[in-house]
Amino acid sequence: MMTLQQQNISDNNFESCIKCTICTVYCPVTAVNPDYPGPKQAGPDGERYRLKKPLYYDEALKYCLNCKRCEVACPNDVRIGDIIQSARIKYGRHSPSLRDSMLADTDTVGTLASAFAPIVNFTLGLKPVKLLMDTFLGIDDHRTFPKYSSIKFETWYRKNVEKDQKKFQRKLAYFHGCYVNYNYPQLGIDFVKVFNSIGIGIELLEKEKCCGVAKIANRCIKDATRDAEINLHSIREAVGNGRNVMLTSSTCCFTIRDEYPHILKLDNKDVRDHISLATRELYRLVDEGGVKLVFRKDFKKRVAYHVPCHMEKLGWSIYSTTLLKMIPGLELVRIDPHCCGIAGTYGFKKEYYEYSQAIGEPLFKQLLASNLDCVATDCETCKWQIEMSTGLPVENPISLIAQALDVEATMKANGVSDN
Amino acid sequence: MKFDTIIIGGGLSGLVSAIECARAGHKTAVISAGQSALHFWSGSFELLGHADGKTVIDNPLGHIDRLAETHPYRKIGYERVSQLLSRVPEILSDAGLKAVGSLERNHLRLTPLGFLKPAWITLGDYVALEAGSPLPWKKVALVNIYSYLDFYPRFLAHGLEKKGVECTMASVNIPELDILRKSTTEMRATNMSRFLTDTAVDKLAAEINKVAKGADAVIMPAVLGIYNDTPVERLRNKLDLPVWFVPTTPASVPGVRCQLSLRDLFIRLGGEFIPGDSVRKGVFEKNRLRRVYTTNLGDMPLDAEHFIISTGSFFGHGLIADMERIYEPVFGLDLNISGGRTEWYNKDFYASQPYMTYGVTTDENLRPTLHGDIVENLYATGALLSGFNALKEGSGAGITLATALHAASKITG
Amino acid sequence: MKDDPHTKEYDVIVIGGGATGAGTARDCAMRGLKTILIERLDFTAGATGRNHGLLHSGARYAHTDPESAAECIKENIILKKIARHCIEETGGLFVSLPEDGLDYHQAFIADCLKAGIPAEELDPAEALRIEPSVNPDLIGAVKVPDGSVDPFRLTTANVIAARMNGADILTYQEVTGFIKSGSRIVGVTLRSHRDGHEREVHGKVIINAAGIWGHRLAELAGIRLNMYPAKGSLLIFGHRINKMVLNRCRKPGDADILVPGDTICVIGTTSTRIPYDRIDDMEVTPEEVDLLLREGVKLSPAMAWTRILRAYAGVRPLVASDDDPTGRSISRGIVCIDHAKRDGVEGFITITGGKLMTYRLMAEEATDMACRKLGVNKECHTAEIPLPGSEETADDKKRRSHIIELSTEQKAAEERHGSLTGKIVSDDDAADALVCECEQVSVGEVNYAIDELHVHNLVNLRRRTRLGMGTCQGELCACRGAGLLERHDKCTQRSLDDLASFLDERWHGMYPVCWGETLVEIQFTSWLYEGVCGLDTSEVKVNDNPTQH
Repeated sequence: MMTLQQQNISDNNFESCIKCTICTVYCPVTAVNPDYPGPKQAGPDGERYRLKKPLYYDEALKYCLNCKRCEVACPNDVRIGDIIQSARIKYGRHSPSLRDSMLADTDTVGTLASAFAPIVNFTLGLKPVKLLMDTFLGIDDHRTFPKYSSIKFETWYRKNVEKDQKKFQRKLAYFHGCYVNYNYPQLGIDFVKVFNSIGIGIELLEKEKCCGVAKIANRCIKDATRDAEINLHSIREAVGNGRNVMLTSSTCCFTIRDEYPHILKLDNKDVRDHISLATRELYRLVDEGGVKLVFRKDFKKRVAYHVPCHMEKLGWSIYSTTLLKMIPGLELVRIDPHCCGIAGTYGFKKEYYEYSQAIGEPLFKQLLASNLDCVATDCETCKWQIEMSTGLPVENPISLIAQALDVEATMKANGVSDN
Repeated sequence: MKFDTIIIGGGLSGLVSAIECARAGHKTAVISAGQSALHFWSGSFELLGHADGKTVIDNPLGHIDRLAETHPYRKIGYERVSQLLSRVPEILSDAGLKAVGSLERNHLRLTPLGFLKPAWITLGDYVALEAGSPLPWKKVALVNIYSYLDFYPRFLAHGLEKKGVECTMASVNIPELDILRKSTTEMRATNMSRFLTDTAVDKLAAEINKVAKGADAVIMPAVLGIYNDTPVERLRNKLDLPVWFVPTTPASVPGVRCQLSLRDLFIRLGGEFIPGDSVRKGVFEKNRLRRVYTTNLGDMPLDAEHFIISTGSFFGHGLIADMERIYEPVFGLDLNISGGRTEWYNKDFYASQPYMTYGVTTDENLRPTLHGDIVENLYATGALLSGFNALKEGSGAGITLATALHAASKITG
Repeated sequence: MKDDPHTKEYDVIVIGGGATGAGTARDCAMRGLKTILIERLDFTAGATGRNHGLLHSGARYAHTDPESAAECIKENIILKKIARHCIEETGGLFVSLPEDGLDYHQAFIADCLKAGIPAEELDPAEALRIEPSVNPDLIGAVKVPDGSVDPFRLTTANVIAARMNGADILTYQEVTGFIKSGSRIVGVTLRSHRDGHEREVHGKVIINAAGIWGHRLAELAGIRLNMYPAKGSLLIFGHRINKMVLNRCRKPGDADILVPGDTICVIGTTSTRIPYDRIDDMEVTPEEVDLLLREGVKLSPAMAWTRILRAYAGVRPLVASDDDPTGRSISRGIVCIDHAKRDGVEGFITITGGKLMTYRLMAEEATDMACRKLGVNKECHTAEIPLPGSEETADDKKRRSHIIELSTEQKAAEERHGSLTGKIVSDDDAADALVCECEQVSVGEVNYAIDELHVHNLVNLRRRTRLGMGTCQGELCACRGAGLLERHDKCTQRSLDDLASFLDERWHGMYPVCWGETLVEIQFTSWLYEGVCGLDTSEVKVNDNPTQH
């Protein structure tokens, strides 16, 4: 006989909601946008009505940032953000616009942009172009576009370091993500440098597509699922070869681990525990694996760590901050956790730009008042937003470690030979 | 990752013991699965308000010896409870929370429905009245925010008028709040407090001054000061009359302020606060808890010398009930429950509910038992404990704080 | 100021504010009779508010009771026409499970067609496609035009219709005796449940539409009715599991119907004979809860892990005809008794038996009898004229065609009040603010209910609007509702007592299913109300019997 009422849950735990309203306290959108119904109404309350009749779907759900801060706050483990995103996908009445599809398709746009990077960067920075994008595409003209790199990370890797990796006994696979590939290969270069210096080789995945976070947010679900299946296939292959898969983006990591099963309904149970963030893996190696990091004496920086929303949800910021604290010359300043407001492509959209900046305002104020040399964070879109809104440089913890690392001494300490 | 002390549960109990451990120099972590019941805090802590579930107690400490031996206060002992709880005002003050109250004599708090109930400590900006004395006002202005539904001026007036206080009622508005009013649901106390800062406070004060003329004091809903009391001080300076707040139904502004202030104090003392995570299992070696595994940290456990579990009652999921049984979900600790589900409740909503008294069983040092054996380096505190009905006794916060401080003092020596 | 009911002489006094009584008052008033409707407590407080809310197609009775089945399908079609805002045409499935076999299934389809019920046999795979919540092990399925009907809305609409046609309405007035003139009953004595005040109301014909309580009422008139109280228990789940009504395709038994109703769904029922003195004490036992779940998961496995909001029970008002201990093989046919013929008491009619589905037909029969007694020759039009809220005005059609553009609470109100939604003031943001967030009840809707729908307490308000019927069972809205009611009632202490009683009433339905999130919810509610708010019995008086509101 079936076990009755042992667990009292439906999909997303939505009926575990006891209407305590705690989620509303922590929603960054409610505070700036009166058209957003708030996480409680948009999530579990609305879901009962949508189950009654789909006509109860409220288009204002699009204002949700998908930051999941409601989920972190919820005492009853209700996956409020998932309920809202799933409802947008299931009931959303308008198909994604050209602008949304374009913002979501980071791979195609990135490939094209990289090929013509100097022109693209120049063009995207031009006021008339920004105005045109504002008018015709609804991409806010205040928004500074991330620069495209003229050389893709993958190209750099194949050209410069791929064959060196063979000498390492221990290996990890790297899911670099679109940002590292098209915009900021330096982070990938730093990642390879840090792990090579402790004796670990880095391999790329057989085939990597965008993780899909932007496509999910823009409801391009078919495309997101197709890409996700390709990624999972590559990840399974790597895991099958004994490689754990590392990321340097908290958002990509969160998407592949949690949004794939929860939103795209793709089962990743077999590989989920093998997908991790570089900082977490590095911490593990230091803590349990006898790996030593030797830092340069001349490195000195005052840094605040910004917890990206998806990092908060992953619960792994402890690894990034603990690593940063290991750098003797790095003074880590504590700031209150706040959403930066960008939420991937959300902040690019004209209709959200103002909200996006208002949401991030408390964070920007704190950062500007903290007399920092730079900000550390594990998410690339947080980086764009904070750089644009505060003028402060923002670095991934892996990059800061790479900058502070005494590579030779570290290699020596870990018994890694130079050739 | 290794710590000296790990506390499971980030509510009032967990945070206070964590603060004490961190202050003693322990490397301390708090694992908090979602926000806590502190979010519904009334602004007052109770120590012991009622004897036999009814009679109002004036001198709470004096009644401890009359409680059952299994009661947490009795386990700790009168002397020790009194010592431990005398620490509380200082902890609150370190966290930036101003409060009034004494261990010797209960005062009365004003509830959202206009009742006066015994309390031990009350935040400085909330109503705290001397028991047995006439109320300090002849006439108060009950001022609501226009269209706000969780403040009940007529219920409050009903209660105050019984005590001989004349009440006037008015509601005020400022344009800064119109944005919230556009939503059908988000006109909540905590949301308003996000807008009632800086010059918005001055405008609000001007409106209140207009409608409160002739009264001795203003009583209004707790809609200011979610992060700290700066907006409250600003309002005080701009108002012609003294102002007092009445807590609202959830989530409460004083509750969020208390939660965040205590959390920040813990972090300032070097503590590690891990939000949104829950302990899945523990590894025991010979009656000692060695390490815990959490949902988010996966295969990377957290080790510690000492552990405190303060996961709360049913609300905090410290206890879970299914159709057949009630259990403690983290470690499967022993509970004081016998009988099936019909034994768990009383059919009268207002009777003493058996489920309210359920919790883990411990020795006199608050160490719980697992399959009958004491876990030597684990302490249970707060609402997870058995042997009392916090609601009927008016004792929830006092027990939570006393047990938290007791456990911390056992750990730090 | 209206005429005082006790100085007026009525043609008809209808006793009982369930669907039948309200429907009878409507019919009488529409036929021009001077009518008063008297209810002991609140409308729908009895069996009307304590059933599945199933809009029967009649299929359930097709095999065992063809006469009832034919009545049902006829009324089903009428209700779809006159009560569109009270019903939802979900469609229904009769599913056969392996343990049921397919013998009944085959006979069942033939019986349905014979009774005029469109029954369409479906392939199990097709049934699973159109209703994914059904047990995937099913071996057969039949689609029938079952639906759901909201008994609260239906009754309220009938009350409004009666009132619009000139009837007077009294609630919380219990009949304490009959005024007789010789062998003729000429009026009733009443005592108010609100203030204890006693009064008389005079009328030419008295119609007993008090359901199971009609037994007691008849006793007051010196008449013995053999009513048969059969208790049926049901469970309410936190949200809709199923889109269509699910029935077991077998001889009617326990827990074999799952009905989606508004935001929730309901499984039921059990059937137990109870002594007559227990009819005011409806308590769902643990054994009944176990039985409902055990059988229910066979219909729809999701029940095993879905949160249960509450349990409740009602009493079927059957007129006993034999000693069948299950109460099921009894025909639920309509019983309309002229007590002049049966008992020699003039001016007294009892209308009983039947079911929610046939309330209108029952009302028609009782009104026909009253008309004959009064010598009035007027035709019944209740089957053609839509109920208030269900009219098809041009404005209404226009609004409904744009329903997608309305806000959530406006959509919810539209479904609750139909074309009367326009009466809900929503001219500013303050009126749109939600009192009950689970069920999307706004300040404007609460005020409308208080002003126009005979609301005296929170339980009345709940029945008119769904306030407090949602996931949190009043935790967030009870206090807000009490605050708004107090503004009208102006008696603060009574409002506080009412708030306390309302929470107790909610708890009464929660404790039989008090585990999981229901226990979490009630602990939270207790902390808030008893703890933070200080609402305890030293401050308030709680209604003695939680089901008697």
